[in-house]
Amino acid sequence: MSVTVFGIRHHGPGSARSLVRSLQALRPDIVLVEGPPDADTAIPFATHPEMTPPVALLVYAPDQLQQAAFYPFAQFSPEWQALRYGLEQGVPVRFIDLPQTHRLALKAKDEELGTQEREEEEAIAAEEDPEKGQDDGEPLRRSLPADPLRWLATAAGYSDSERWWEHLVEQRQDSTALFEAILEAMTALREDLETTHPPDLENAFDRLEAQREAYMRRMIRQAEKEGFAAIAVVCGAWHAPALSEPLPAQKHDAALLKGLPKLKVKATWIPWTYGRLANTSGYGAGIPSPGWYEHLWRSSDSNQSGSETAIRWMTRVARLLREEDLDASSASVIEAVRLAETLSALRDSTAPSLMEFNEAAQTIFCFGDATPMQLIHQKLIISDRLGQVPPETPLVPLQQDLQQLQKRLRLKPEANEKQLTLDLRKPLDLERSHLLHRLALLTIPWGTPQSTSGKGTFKEAWELRWYPELSLSVIEAGHWGNTILSAATASVRAQASAATTLATLTGLLDQVLLAALTEVVTPLIQQLQAIAAVASDVAHLMAALPALANVVRYRDVRQTDSAAVAQVVDGLVTRICIGLPGACASLDDDAATLMLEAINQTHSAIRLLQQESHLQSWSATLQSLADRTSMHGLIAGRSCRLLLDAGTFSPTEAARRLGLALSLATEPTQAAAWVEGFLQGSGLLLIHDGAIWDVLDNWVTQLSAETFTALLPLLRRTFANFTAPERRQMGERVRLGQQGQAPENRDFDRDRADNALPLIAQLLGLSTPTVTR
Amino acid sequence: MPAAKSKSTQAAKTPTDPVTAILRQHAEEQFATELAALMEVDDRQRPPNWQLSPWAVATYLMGGTVGDTEILPKYVGQRRLMEVAIATLATDRALLLYGIPGTGKSWVSEHLAAAISGDSTLLIQGTAGTSEEAIRYGWNYAELLAKGPSRQAIVASPLMNAMAAGKIARVEELTRMPADVQDTLITVLSEKTLPIAELGEEVQAVKGFNLIATANNRDKGVNELSSALKRRFNTVILPVPAHVDEEVQIVQKRVESLGRALELPAEAPALTEIRRIVTIFRELRSGVTEDGKTKVKSPSGTLSTAEAISVVSSGLALAAHFGDGSLSAEDLAAGVYGAVVKDPVQDAVVWKEYLETVVKARDGWRDLYRACRELG
Repeated sequence: MSVTVFGIRHHGPGSARSLVRSLQALRPDIVLVEGPPDADTAIPFATHPEMTPPVALLVYAPDQLQQAAFYPFAQFSPEWQALRYGLEQGVPVRFIDLPQTHRLALKAKDEELGTQEREEEEAIAAEEDPEKGQDDGEPLRRSLPADPLRWLATAAGYSDSERWWEHLVEQRQDSTALFEAILEAMTALREDLETTHPPDLENAFDRLEAQREAYMRRMIRQAEKEGFAAIAVVCGAWHAPALSEPLPAQKHDAALLKGLPKLKVKATWIPWTYGRLANTSGYGAGIPSPGWYEHLWRSSDSNQSGSETAIRWMTRVARLLREEDLDASSASVIEAVRLAETLSALRDSTAPSLMEFNEAAQTIFCFGDATPMQLIHQKLIISDRLGQVPPETPLVPLQQDLQQLQKRLRLKPEANEKQLTLDLRKPLDLERSHLLHRLALLTIPWGTPQSTSGKGTFKEAWELRWYPELSLSVIEAGHWGNTILSAATASVRAQASAATTLATLTGLLDQVLLAALTEVVTPLIQQLQAIAAVASDVAHLMAALPALANVVRYRDVRQTDSAAVAQVVDGLVTRICIGLPGACASLDDDAATLMLEAINQTHSAIRLLQQESHLQSWSATLQSLADRTSMHGLIAGRSCRLLLDAGTFSPTEAARRLGLALSLATEPTQAAAWVEGFLQGSGLLLIHDGAIWDVLDNWVTQLSAETFTALLPLLRRTFANFTAPERRQMGERVRLGQQGQAPENRDFDRDRADNALPLIAQLLGLSTPTVTR
Repeated sequence: MPAAKSKSTQAAKTPTDPVTAILRQHAEEQFATELAALMEVDDRQRPPNWQLSPWAVATYLMGGTVGDTEILPKYVGQRRLMEVAIATLATDRALLLYGIPGTGKSWVSEHLAAAISGDSTLLIQGTAGTSEEAIRYGWNYAELLAKGPSRQAIVASPLMNAMAAGKIARVEELTRMPADVQDTLITVLSEKTLPIAELGEEVQAVKGFNLIATANNRDKGVNELSSALKRRFNTVILPVPAHVDEEVQIVQKRVESLGRALELPAEAPALTEIRRIVTIFRELRSGVTEDGKTKVKSPSGTLSTAEAISVVSSGLALAAHFGDGSLSAEDLAAGVYGAVVKDPVQDAVVWKEYLETVVKARDGWRDLYRACRELG
């Protein structure tokens, strides 16, 4: 009977390779893996032909979906290889870590007590892998120096423990006696540490660590009792000494594990991504470069030599750059490999590591420029690989959440098309609308929005149809979160970080507001501000303004940081005011029409905001537009009109400008455009608003007969745009002359009018109809 | 960013007769003791014809202690950049130091040549008037007319000398040369040979020969680097100082020494003013405010450290001759505007936006905002 402990590094390809070799040599009759025993039933799926890593084991509490823990696995994770080895050899495989049924219960209790102030995600990350001795930076074990492994690394002359481990373990070709050496090093390290920083069982973290190790020992003892002769234990290197002979007294462990709380949990597999395996994603046991590790794993799998690994990597870099239309010749690949090898020699290491490859790629492929390196980092070093799980895996929590919501909101998934009209004033319909919008954000297009007939913003029409593929989309979306709300939120965050244009972001913001994802509104707005700052296209800025102005003015901004929105709006208005005169220079007719529309929208948005400083700078901008002689007539005319409406220009001033614009020195097309801009869409206004009528009237009456004849075609062009009844009314008003200005003085039946007053008062919400005769 | 400051401080230290003193010594002379100390302890493998091993060259550039000799850092910045540069020269690929003006490219090139070959004088200066003869070889016409074409009649270029001796040749401001002259280097870099067509001979490079070129990517009026040539170089971009304090320090030292040289009666500039200028330059250059929260647009100019130095010293001159002797926001505003707004249309918009969205809101910057607003 023997117990062999393999101390590994999570997601270390070198560890995985050495582990596979050692397992093949040892031929154990049982494999014990550090992982949640609650998920033992899910283990057999690991060898399912449709299972493609990266995948994650998800352990969750069905009654409290926010309580969950993820255990990600990649092809090159030693634990994954251990599971597969056991299943393929037909020997039992068991998880031996402290069950999540206890850990989630502990966590839930902690949260209730309010001691857990960390964010949920961070806590999950910590839950998964607090033992990671080799990862620094995480302030997990507060009573200890951040990275005990650094002592060993410093002793070996490395500045950084990550690099030290990489060179010594992950890039090692010869794996004999590797695990004995790791065990010995860790034993020495832990002994030293425990004398300087004795574990404190009052500290929640230390206590959990002790309990986990006690539970793992209990499972090993149990396997021994069951009579297994060769027991292989695969665990994080940090735990290895605690699980090795001689084990402490059984009584000691039993005392530690007494009276643990329990919570009902379930386990399943969900697809994972390399992006979320990377340590930049906030995952505690994350690795810096999943894509690179996969490359290392594959090349060791096919027994490539070190230089072949290097050549293949640089070739992949070159091919990626070529796909993006950047030059990368085979000659450059040769030079890059040579440079990487020389660099690693200069740094006294046997084979180039990722750092040397990156430097070589930057120097040779990118001509020293760091920008294309980001592409390499995203596409190759992290890589966007998404895993896949077989369809028969148990339901993921997101599916359960969706089912519960469907039941509660009385929306049945049906394969037939179904029309649904929602009245958003009803709470049930509002929630339905939120659900459909959230699903749309998760690219689960169950409902397709339809245009509604009739006015009013409280109506929303959908066409619902459930395709079987949508279930797969739900499983795929499972990695975003466990509830529709949290998943949609996480997905929006990801989409936002990928968005680069103002239009995408404002669109996203709009969807987010419809889906009522209040949590992400503020970050979205911050990003919007960052992009607006560098946007050079004023049209984009103007397009973004109305939606935001609406948010500021009308939307319920209790949940959002209304100051932040206002700040973005301030920035937008400032930038528009500075950039607009430049953007309006030398426009052709089509561009001017578009710009006119944008100016109109911006104008109403700014008026909506009702902020004195904005109104002032906007009116200054409009004045400069109106003053420019080279400005396209449409825009100059419109600016003049907007200023007249706002009262900045007096009617006399407006009439003077109208006269200037239509004087003979002006090009006829320019003059026509000016009048068109000035009067655009205001046929009714012209009839009923005395001011503009007067301006026109003043100007026309001052014209001499010859000039009037000369200008007539231009005027006709503008007036032709008004509807026939409008034109007829204008004509009548002209015929009436001065009397036409008081049409309301006509005789009418006062008594009959009085009868209507109470109803009008009621409509207007006035309490007592006050009638003055 | 050692170039500016070290040049002056080192020269000032050399105790020589003031009348005949050389204004500036070559690197290998100035740092002869350091090089000798390194050579003594250096037992690592050296590439053929190298005076020092790559490791020792890196130590010479980045500084350290060898025996009892202290090696001064020649380059303040990332060590890995220097390692890439040295490894490039060791793989017999030519090295191109690229970047905006004032980042220490020439300084690094000189010291690399001094440490590797012990000779930094094999230098070709690139200008718009550089001819092919300056790169290949010229003729001694008296000799040519008297005896006809022969090796004696040839006037070798620094490049030819470097090839024959197995040393490092330097080309300064590669992109200032016309494109056709640049292309002369292609054969030398790929075939490592320089044909002399008139004699039917060639000069083949001895091991140890290599080329360091510097070029600048932001200046106006430079020629494009031909892609054929670009492929033959390994490119290292020298960045601007990574941290604001580092840059403030460089500006301050340089401004102080300049002020002394011009004998300005003004007070030494307050650190806060320098910090403001450096902050403005860094923010506009990087397109992000120093707190990392707001993005700003970048103007077309380079806004190098050297320009920050000139803004502060011209502000000092203004203060000394027309103001009260102490540097104020008004004295700086004109200089900043001139440095930022190089293109009267685009840059003016960038600058206005920056003023309105960043400077205006910043605590204690009110005076600067007003002074800049008055100007434009």
